[in-house]
Amino acid sequence: MGCAKDIVEQVGVPRFLFSDFPLGNPAGKPNDTNSQAFTMKLALRVLETAVGPRTTVQSPLRWSDDAAWKLDFSNIEQLSEEEIARRKAEFDRNKQIAKDRREQDIKPAAAAE
Amino acid sequence: MSNADKEFGFAEPFDLPIPYLHRIRTFYKTLGYGKPYRWAQYSDVPFTALSKPLAESRVALVTTAAPYQPDKGEQGPGAPYNSAAKFYTVYSGSTESEPDLRVSHIGIDRKHTTAEDMRSWFPLKQLKRFASEGMIGSITDRFYGAPTNRSQKRTLGVDCPEIYERIREDGGDVAVIVAN
Repeated sequence: MGCAKDIVEQVGVPRFLFSDFPLGNPAGKPNDTNSQAFTMKLALRVLETAVGPRTTVQSPLRWSDDAAWKLDFSNIEQLSEEEIARRKAEFDRNKQIAKDRREQDIKPAAAAE
Repeated sequence: MSNADKEFGFAEPFDLPIPYLHRIRTFYKTLGYGKPYRWAQYSDVPFTALSKPLAESRVALVTTAAPYQPDKGEQGPGAPYNSAAKFYTVYSGSTESEPDLRVSHIGIDRKHTTAEDMRSWFPLKQLKRFASEGMIGSITDRFYGAPTNRSQKRTLGVDCPEIYERIREDGGDVAVIVAN
């Protein structure tokens, strides 16, 4: 179950339920039990009925009537120079934090093996 | 939108699945980073037909979400990207009750969604419902957390085999992977 169609299809998976929603909602819309139930049920049907690898089924649910949300994610054309500089600084900062965290997580586990 | 588009009832030209590979590559190139990320890509994709009906199968749930860690900064609804909340080793949790899982460590859409409802990325509650209704046989006693590690060597060589082993230990027949 996922929202990034091109990425999952490039990797290649046996079965894929694609929801054309903003990243972070692969199991249905937030605070919407019907959407979540529909999505899970459809995923189970895809699991049971797919006939071969790379089976993608697109959920018929729409995030909103207006598709303008699709223009925003990591779209460089929508950002000012100041915003690009800010994002770069933020990316570098988070990268260092992640590196430190990775060393904390992996080194003790490796030492214990 | 052109007059012809309107006449034929066409959608907006951008109303397609977002081209993430292109967007992300262009984004980081413009930010000044060199070699672009090499996403996994396979020509041969495995496929195994179910060996028994889903109604008799034990389903495993795999997630990229992280358990809430109070000492790791903002992870709540609307939190900015928080790499301190990442994890780099496989974890499991009980499926008996709903855990508290977050996605602040993942590059989700932070403008159009707020990560306020865990059930939009971790469908355990719905999976339980379909187990009780008999659409699936059962759910494994544990769910499994997959690290979002940039190291493909680690993902393929350590994390995937570890998750597979845990699912086998728990008697899982099939797995549903929910990526974020």
